Amino acid sequence: MHRKKQENDTYVLGTIHPFRRTHRSVLGRLSQELRLVTSDRRSWRILAFGALNLLCTGCLLMWCSSTNSMALTAYTYLTIFDLFSLVTSLISSWVGMKKSSQLYSFGFQRLEVLAVFSSTVLIQLGALFILKESVERFMDQPEVHTGRLLVGTSVALFFNLFTLLSVRNKPFSYVSEAASSSWLQEHVADLSRSVCGVLPGLSSVLLPRMNPFVLINLAGACALLLTYLLIEIHNFVAVDTASAVAIALMTFGTMYPMSLYSGKVLLQTTPSHVIGQLDKLLREVSTLEGVLEVRNEHFWTVGFGSLAGSAHVRIRRDANEQLVLAHVTNRLLPLVATLSVQIFKDDWSRPALLSGPLPHGGGAGDGHGHGHGHAHLSSSPLPPLLPDPLTSTPSKPLGPPPEFSFNTPRRPHSGLGLAYPAGPAAQGLRPGLLQGASAHSYRTAPLGFGTSHPPPQSQYRHYHP
Amino acid sequence: MDEKYSSNVLSSGKLGMVEVPNARLTRYIILLLISKVLKAVGIFESYDILKVVHIVQFIFILKLGSAVVLLFFQKPFSSGKAISKRQWIKLLKHSVLGCIISLLGFFGLTLCGPLRTLLLFEHSDVVVLALLAVLFTTSGGGPSKTRGAALFIIAVVCLLLFDNDDLMAKMAEHPEGHHDSALTHFLYTAIAFLGVADHKSKVESWSGLILPLALIVFSVMILEFYVEAVCAAKMEAPRCARYSTAALFLSALLLAHFWSHPFTDRLLSVRTPLHGHGGTEHVLSGGVVVSAVIFVLASSILSAPSRKGQKGTLVGYSPEGTPLYNFMGDALQHTSQSLPRFIKESLKQILEEYDSRQIFYFLCLNLAFTFVELFYGVWTNSLGLISDGFHMLFDCSALVLGLFAALMTRWKATKIYSYGYGRVEILSGFINGLFLMVIAFFVFVESVSRLFDPPNINTDMLTPVSVGGLLVNLVGICAFSHAHSHGAAKSCPSSDHGHSHNEHGHGHAHGGHGHAHGSHGHAHGGGGGGMNANMRGVFLHVLADTLGSVGVIISTLLINQFGWLIADPICSLFIAVLIFLSVIPLIKDACEVLVLRAPPEHEKELDHALAKVEKIDGVLSYRDAHFWRHSASMVAGTIHIQVMAEVLEQRVIQQVTSVLKDAGVNNLSVQVEKEAYFQHMSGLSSGFHEVLAMTQQMESVQCLKDGTCIM
Repeated sequence: MHRKKQENDTYVLGTIHPFRRTHRSVLGRLSQELRLVTSDRRSWRILAFGALNLLCTGCLLMWCSSTNSMALTAYTYLTIFDLFSLVTSLISSWVGMKKSSQLYSFGFQRLEVLAVFSSTVLIQLGALFILKESVERFMDQPEVHTGRLLVGTSVALFFNLFTLLSVRNKPFSYVSEAASSSWLQEHVADLSRSVCGVLPGLSSVLLPRMNPFVLINLAGACALLLTYLLIEIHNFVAVDTASAVAIALMTFGTMYPMSLYSGKVLLQTTPSHVIGQLDKLLREVSTLEGVLEVRNEHFWTVGFGSLAGSAHVRIRRDANEQLVLAHVTNRLLPLVATLSVQIFKDDWSRPALLSGPLPHGGGAGDGHGHGHGHAHLSSSPLPPLLPDPLTSTPSKPLGPPPEFSFNTPRRPHSGLGLAYPAGPAAQGLRPGLLQGASAHSYRTAPLGFGTSHPPPQSQYRHYHP
Repeated sequence: MDEKYSSNVLSSGKLGMVEVPNARLTRYIILLLISKVLKAVGIFESYDILKVVHIVQFIFILKLGSAVVLLFFQKPFSSGKAISKRQWIKLLKHSVLGCIISLLGFFGLTLCGPLRTLLLFEHSDVVVLALLAVLFTTSGGGPSKTRGAALFIIAVVCLLLFDNDDLMAKMAEHPEGHHDSALTHFLYTAIAFLGVADHKSKVESWSGLILPLALIVFSVMILEFYVEAVCAAKMEAPRCARYSTAALFLSALLLAHFWSHPFTDRLLSVRTPLHGHGGTEHVLSGGVVVSAVIFVLASSILSAPSRKGQKGTLVGYSPEGTPLYNFMGDALQHTSQSLPRFIKESLKQILEEYDSRQIFYFLCLNLAFTFVELFYGVWTNSLGLISDGFHMLFDCSALVLGLFAALMTRWKATKIYSYGYGRVEILSGFINGLFLMVIAFFVFVESVSRLFDPPNINTDMLTPVSVGGLLVNLVGICAFSHAHSHGAAKSCPSSDHGHSHNEHGHGHAHGGHGHAHGSHGHAHGGGGGGMNANMRGVFLHVLADTLGSVGVIISTLLINQFGWLIADPICSLFIAVLIFLSVIPLIKDACEVLVLRAPPEHEKELDHALAKVEKIDGVLSYRDAHFWRHSASMVAGTIHIQVMAEVLEQRVIQQVTSVLKDAGVNNLSVQVEKEAYFQHMSGLSSGFHEVLAMTQQMESVQCLKDGTCIM
């Protein structure tokens, strides 16, 4: 329990805005958050199950020490894991009620991920501890009493399955579906496929992917039953340690894919299943009108499922920034919910925009543009927009930029451009001449920004939200 | 075994290799089964004969008999190509090795009986190759092969542990004696082979042995040779292996049950003269039956044809709609570098940087201490020492984790890890913190249970071990406290310091300038903001170990001096609480970083910076300001800024970036929006809801404008 408590009060600290920080105690804040959570009827059920779980775990731990059985201890840890998962679903319902604040600007969805990660890692560390104890026991096997072994197993199995099937646990069900399947699941799937080869009627029961938690509970119960039988019949006490090792290994196998998945979310990685889709979108973006390249693209998941990301898009000097921004955002927004796109131009300080529509300035400016974007200049790939003059593609009273005539190699990702006709094309303008012209205009242009404040701007400067 | 019971029906039946239907092969299968049953009979017979005939003589007769028969049938010298000199040398090698193997095999037969020898010795090459592939290569061939290998190992373990054969039990009781006798026996046989006649042969009449020997030669050597050759030509090797193994093991099980039965004694009159000294027969136990069944299962799974094609990754779909797979997996494995080279390169990487070097040296020291302890424990047969050694190994896993994280942090950014691997360090620190909490929990539970029932502790070995552990850990504390104090010092709220640190931006390699702040000491509650969380985790781990050693020394002293047995649990209780309290700040900081909280040490600066951003010329407002610490060296941020239509966007981006860079954000993306953007967006988005949302945003921007106009 202390873990949850600690997590709670850590985050409660953060939610309070620094300017109106209250000096209430940790307990007060905790009780406030608990009141918030318990206002929902569903969380009462979770709390009730948690109380039952605590009772059950206490009983099981007592039986563990009385039977002195390592396998039952390993199985009890699964019950403790159930407790963790209940806490996780409580946190999940708390997260659903909390809004994002200034400090936690992405909201608290990541807390779910963190809870899933820490509970899977904690249970794996427990399994590691079991392994260590088992190695010590292999050298000096103590006596194991079987009196409470079967009772403990059945109580734990019944309780675990009851909890798993009756409490809806959103984060864990998501992770168990999204993560790659554990070795236990793979083996069961393989076996059940061969069974279905013999008895095709069972295919509807056996072929779908098994819930990993149910699977490990059943497998652990089987191992314990076997232990009981072997100890009772043949008095092989070493079986207890062996099945403890087996349960610990199964725990590792079940929890590892989930902790890997949630750990990757925590590491802000691009989820591998959206990489293909993202690549396609980015390729589309880089073939947009005026876009030269996309760099510094970072895409990652905030919570389970919702993508966030940022990218820097380099555009031609004469391209309309707001139009490109709108198109890029429009492409990416369906996939990436929290998106920010930085548009940048090379040599933007040259007054290409300030000195009116300077037609040839763009070509000289982007030295490494290499005739990418202009392939689309002649025919707009974009759909027709609002009648608003700003929305339509920038009017081109003059021909395409000069480097088109030099037939420079295309950028690799401009493959779509091949389909477009060559357009009015080659005017044979000399780039050297152009560069001189633009450089000249740069020197002579009035530097209107920064140094002088025109009257319409100054009235906004006093604005404070 | 029927085909249907093999592990992957789908692949072998429909998708994989096409197998010939059973009907045409029935006679070959029957022939194979008969030959295998006869072979089992032959092995059992030879076990009986080996009781009276010396093993070397027996093998000599066996080889001679089969050689004569095969020479007669095959005519190796008169038919076929002439044998070259190189082939002669190979032949010689092969025959010598074959002799040694059969000598060992039959020697094993004399020791542990026919059934167990058959179970362990008579596996077909297909099964053995599949087993080795699973155990020693990464691409074993799917879960079914892994299961088969696990079953095989379980069967061997079952045979070793749960088979309470009387003879085996006797051997297990005196392993040294057994080994000695085997060695002397082997030497003796070698001498007897080289020297002259056998002087200990218990054979009265060789004439009675001719028939059984001929039977053995026929069944074990010749018939099996021919039948295997025929079946290998007619059937696939895996199928052949499956049938033969099943037949051999099952017939061996049956024979083991009936062999010493009086009924068979009467039936096989040959055995009556030899059966005088029965007594120590190898009985059929439950363990051996179970392991035989598991062996049959394992070999049938292992010899099943594998599905190699399933390894490919789905690339896409062809125009016709069939899935396309990419089979790069196998090709990639061949290009992986060799192990020594890999070790050398990773060692070089480890030693390159300060943190990983420290961890590595300390890990080596710790491991050395552990192994000395373990060896000494095994030498003196002291359980306490051995378990303490395992405990140290358990602790080393945290160090290995830290080392790996310190190594990974320096990897280059990839497509998936687009920000680089710097965050691995924080995650590793978090895991180490959880590890320590688990340890504290277990120590707590253990000490509470001991509080009520203090056990009598043998304190003889404890003091030197704990003093050694203390020394090792003190070295570790000296090595790591540097990094730790630096990490803690960074949290000191001096704005100048915080500012300058952002200029460095060179990760966690704070080699030199840590000394300037070293005097701040260990500010545990300081909250280092997740900086160098990995090193903090490792340091706390070492600290916890040191506390453990100190606790053991104190409690040993108390117990020895005053006989207070309760001192031990109280000490452990105290230590558990200390570990728990010291780990909370680490976990709290790591959590804050992992849930993307705005970095607490930059909070004020960020507030100021945002206020400054609003004052930039032409900026109307900002929204969606996200700032978070990604790793020790990187604070990332994204912000959307609304500006007026006349302003140059690039200018705003530059100003905002420089303002936020001063506040510590070194990976920023600024989205500059004008009113035109929202108009474009509302035009582009086709859906009704998006249009609605966009117009609302647009209105808000216009409202802001109006509001400011009124002001």
